[in-house]
Amino acid sequence: MAFEPKIVGFLCNWCSYTGADLAGVSRIKWPPNVRPIRVMCSGRIDPTFVVKAFREGADGVLVSGCHPGDCHYYQGNYKALRRYHLLRRVLEQFGIHPDRLMLTWVSAAEGERWAKVTQEITERVRKLGPLHLKD
Amino acid sequence: MIKLRIDGNEVEVNAGTPLLKAAQKLNIEIPTLCHYEGIEPYAACRVCTVEVVRGRRRRMVTACNYPATDGIEVFTDNERVRRARRLNLEMLLGRCSEVPAIRALAAKYGVEKSRFGYDPKEKCILCGLCVRMCSDIVKANVLSFAYSGPRRKVVTPFEREMATDVCIACGACAHVCPTGAITIEDLSQRRGEVPEMYLGPKTAISIPFQQAVPKVPYIDPDACIKMQTGGCGICAQVCEPEAINYKMQDEVVELDVGQILVATGYQIFDASQMAQYGYGKLDNVLSALEFEKMLNSTGPTGGRVLTKNGKEPRAIGIIHCIGSRDARYHKYCSRVCCMYALKFAHLVKDRTNAEVYQFYIDMRAFGKGYEEFYSRVLDEGVNVIRGKAAEVVEATWGNEREGHLLVRCEDTLIGKFREVPVDMVVLCAAIEPNVDQERVGQIFSLSRSPDGFFLERHPKLDPMGTVNDGIYLAGCCQGPKDIPDTVAQAQGAAARILAMIAKGEVLLDPIRASIDENLCGGCKVCNNLCPYMAITFDDVKKVSVVNETLCKGCGTCVAACPAGAITGSGFTDEQIFAEIEGILADAGNK
Amino acid sequence: MPYRLHMMVCAGTGCVSNRSLELRDALSAELARRGLDKEIEIVTTGCNGFCGVGPILLVQPDGIFYQKVQVKDVPLLVEEHLVKGRPVKSLMFTPPEAKEPVPRMRDIPFFGKQMLVALRNRGMIDPEKIEDYIARGGYQALAKALTTMTPKQIIEEIKASGLRGRGGGGFPTGIKWETCVHAHSEDGVRYLVCNADEGDPGAFMDRSIIEGDPHSVIEGMVIGAYAIGAHQGYIYVRHEYPLALKRFMIALDQAREYGLLGKDILGTGFDFDIEVHRGAGAFVCGESTALMASIEGRVGEPRAKYIHTVEVGLYNKPTVLNNVETFANVPVIIERGAKWFASIGTEHSKGTKVFSLAGRVKNTGLVEVPMGLSLRELIFDIGGGIADNGKFKAVQTGGPSGGFLPEDLLDLPVDYEKLYEAGSMMGSGGVVVMDHTSCMVDVARFFVDFLQSESCGKCTPCREGIKAMHGILSRICDGKGSEADLATLEELCSVVADTSLCALGGSAPNPVLTSLRYFRSEYEAHLQGKCPAGVCRALITFRINDKCTGCHLCFKACPTSAVLGEPKQMHSIIQGKCIKCGACYDVCKFEAVTKE
Repeated sequence: MAFEPKIVGFLCNWCSYTGADLAGVSRIKWPPNVRPIRVMCSGRIDPTFVVKAFREGADGVLVSGCHPGDCHYYQGNYKALRRYHLLRRVLEQFGIHPDRLMLTWVSAAEGERWAKVTQEITERVRKLGPLHLKD
Repeated sequence: MIKLRIDGNEVEVNAGTPLLKAAQKLNIEIPTLCHYEGIEPYAACRVCTVEVVRGRRRRMVTACNYPATDGIEVFTDNERVRRARRLNLEMLLGRCSEVPAIRALAAKYGVEKSRFGYDPKEKCILCGLCVRMCSDIVKANVLSFAYSGPRRKVVTPFEREMATDVCIACGACAHVCPTGAITIEDLSQRRGEVPEMYLGPKTAISIPFQQAVPKVPYIDPDACIKMQTGGCGICAQVCEPEAINYKMQDEVVELDVGQILVATGYQIFDASQMAQYGYGKLDNVLSALEFEKMLNSTGPTGGRVLTKNGKEPRAIGIIHCIGSRDARYHKYCSRVCCMYALKFAHLVKDRTNAEVYQFYIDMRAFGKGYEEFYSRVLDEGVNVIRGKAAEVVEATWGNEREGHLLVRCEDTLIGKFREVPVDMVVLCAAIEPNVDQERVGQIFSLSRSPDGFFLERHPKLDPMGTVNDGIYLAGCCQGPKDIPDTVAQAQGAAARILAMIAKGEVLLDPIRASIDENLCGGCKVCNNLCPYMAITFDDVKKVSVVNETLCKGCGTCVAACPAGAITGSGFTDEQIFAEIEGILADAGNK
Repeated sequence: MPYRLHMMVCAGTGCVSNRSLELRDALSAELARRGLDKEIEIVTTGCNGFCGVGPILLVQPDGIFYQKVQVKDVPLLVEEHLVKGRPVKSLMFTPPEAKEPVPRMRDIPFFGKQMLVALRNRGMIDPEKIEDYIARGGYQALAKALTTMTPKQIIEEIKASGLRGRGGGGFPTGIKWETCVHAHSEDGVRYLVCNADEGDPGAFMDRSIIEGDPHSVIEGMVIGAYAIGAHQGYIYVRHEYPLALKRFMIALDQAREYGLLGKDILGTGFDFDIEVHRGAGAFVCGESTALMASIEGRVGEPRAKYIHTVEVGLYNKPTVLNNVETFANVPVIIERGAKWFASIGTEHSKGTKVFSLAGRVKNTGLVEVPMGLSLRELIFDIGGGIADNGKFKAVQTGGPSGGFLPEDLLDLPVDYEKLYEAGSMMGSGGVVVMDHTSCMVDVARFFVDFLQSESCGKCTPCREGIKAMHGILSRICDGKGSEADLATLEELCSVVADTSLCALGGSAPNPVLTSLRYFRSEYEAHLQGKCPAGVCRALITFRINDKCTGCHLCFKACPTSAVLGEPKQMHSIIQGKCIKCGACYDVCKFEAVTKE
């Protein structure tokens, strides 16, 4: 059986979560590999969430917020961006390929983009193979 | 106020009022050629000459600028006056022999032919209205007089044939010219969204449309001479209630509101993008909005259907789905076109003898009474051709040399290629999102559906709400719809808004951050992080404190707190961890 | 050491063009050569008025009048008159009827009947020297006015004098000033303008005054400004008057230097200055509103004067506009009193008037005569009668739009009202005399032609009406007129006069109307195909009668070879070839060529 990566998606409430919702409402297909967790803002995403997700067996993590400048809380997404770059370096030191973590921006109107982004990370993680951290 | 007698009638006016105006009060008409309300009197044509008697003194004066004084007696039509007018008109007729206005006025005084010459070409009577308009009112100073005596004439600077660099093309000179000596030639190809859709003349000050509320004129600052050059100002001069205010500026009004209904409308697809239909290039290819304006009884043609040369068309083609249901432009159906196209057909049939051809893909008469209307229009003899028109080209009809148009299409019902000759084509262009739809969407944090219109919260359960509480949608900004649908949606949205107002209070999500004073180390990292400045530092306790009414619950501080002292209700670390564990419960076990 | 004699060389424009300045230099060199330059002073003066006989040289104090003095005459003149004390008879003037030359200026009839008020310093002073003007009592009136009189008193004085505008309108100057003072001016600004835009062809009164005595105008203007409370004045001078301009500028500088113009005049605290504005030579700019428009920098076109310029004039301020001659009269009135001035002239026309005599009179030139003098005295006594023993036919007074007066009106006195009643006008003072060689229809056409090209073209009757008149008159001159044309002409004249915007159009019909009134027979003759004066080419034929001696002169003169004939045989003219140039007529010494 082919490898189906498990990906945890942290989605901000205002843009990406709604965008994902739109994709669903619009009957756009997107891979079921991404399992979304709603947070109010991408700025709420504590690096420990990501680490926790990997520890719990996720093969990849997707962080998605509003487009720069569109944050519902003005600049939470910039803070997410800052943390993302630091976190990639930390992950590398842990031996986790930094490409397993992906940060993206999806607005509430971008159902199609959401589908595209989820396909992209799914394919990427599929290529990197299973992480096997939980075992 | 002073009293004077005009032709035996007493009239009371302010001292200094020109006799012409005083006579108007008595409805006594004094002919004039060089006078125009709002322009300083010039007294050059002398046609308004009247006789004034003051004591023993009788003299001939010009009514346009002679100031009324107390006790004078004015004769506007006695033999001496008539003779003076007759002869002056005869002189002018000798100069401009074939100008209808001069001929008519001269004929009134019994002059059919001038003893002083015959010039069928000359049209200018040198009344100076254009010169004064251009220099005194418009202040463009393009026209002036040159030479003296009989050689006098109106010239442009240095007598150049074209003074297009200085002429601002306001057209005021032609407007005031009493003899039609000045004509306006439109050197540009202008089309666009203005009240008359460029089908008729437009002034810089106008009432936007007949049903406008409030029904007051507005000034177009780009066309207003006063605002462009500082000249003119005629509207203010003639406005008796002194309602004209040139200083009025566009202003930004800031209002604090609790709820917003977004009804920003739509724009019409620019049919000139589809070059095959000739819009913007061929005469008599009109957009639906232009045609609608033409049908309007207050429009430029008074509701008559006319081709550009002023004739009634013999046949009209109405082409549906311009930019709608077309993969290259808009995939969606604009919903209203079929019905207004049928309305056009009905009105054309009603007002003219023209044949009407409808070129449609599918006739979508879906609403209440719509299908019935469709049947009625068919009964009226409107031709419907199922098939999207391929192109509109110029052609000639039979052996007449007069140009007309050919609509080429495939009639899919009979499976044949057809060429339909018409005099006029109306294009039913698509309804599309406004050019600034995205920008407006950002302002209100609105989502847009793939077609670009704003996205409602739920197509069935909440068609007027948005994902943002307090922001609602109505009309074509949400998607193409006709008037009944728009009204229904708008009324629904208004009801929702009123319901919220009636309730008097707003429920907020209880998502808030809070700081555990025992854990907070007082590092102040969170203080600067908060975009709402909801976190302050308590100097006594040396801990940070969250103001819960300001906090919006974004959780940025929660994630940033190095001590883990901040928790976000609803989204605590524990809850999220549990979620992660939950959704990955199946991981690793296989 | 005072000078023994003064040689007054006329330097008016007429004499200057007759080389009077060369004459002055030659005189000066001759005096220096003979060592007489310490005893005899040469003075260049303004115009003497007798321009027809220039250059004029006057030897004072005896008042010996020399005419047509050439440079070659200088050695003789100096030798005879200055060294030997024997005035040179050959250079003196001989009046038409007299047998002997008249040595003294005042004995010459041309000067004798004149009365100099405006031209009081004529030929007596060097116009470029303010000292000369002051020495003749100049600026005393200004001092009197500014130090002892109130503006109101000045106006009363001018009113009492009966001075009327010398520019043509004849409006009482005092009343004009008074109206201006009473006119409302928001900021109190009033202007005073001197009209020196003398456009009438052949008239040169104003030019002569400015050239000969510019300070009299300045003095008059300052007094006027004081009376009306103006602090800025303008003088509008034609650009065609370079000498007048130059002398006026010099005079302005001198007056400013002497504290007679500018700030704090004569220490009285009154400020007034004059700016010179040059006109470009449009006839219509002599009209007050057109003149003001021109000063303001706009096109010189008249506007309706239902609101007078004394109330709303230059730059929309109350403005007094007077003619040069009017201002030149003011200082004399102030100095000598209104009573004295009012004692000269007729009941309604007081003082004197300067005329420029021109046309077919023997003595042409500039004269100043008391009002009330008859035209006959003006033309025959002062003017010396008709030139070349011709027969008087008509006189036109008041410039190109003045009317023609016939012989039986010659006893008409020079008076504003009388001239107006006769169909002519005082105008600015042009007097053109015509004799039997003038065709009145042709002359009327000539002036109408002038007026149509000088019309600004603003109003219909003036632009189209005068043009129409010209067309009809030309038709009559060409022998193509009809009885109906005369009626049309009369109708046109009356409507053009009635409805024209300004006085140019208003008075333009005068030449036509008066020629129709007094010389209707000439028009009728033209309708019959005859030009009594033999002027209108289309209506005349040249023939050669039996007086012809066959001298062959006409044969040679004819430009179109229309004259046939062998020398010493009688000649004849081929009518078909004749262009009626009159060359044969002019060259024939035997009166053999006739014109009919």
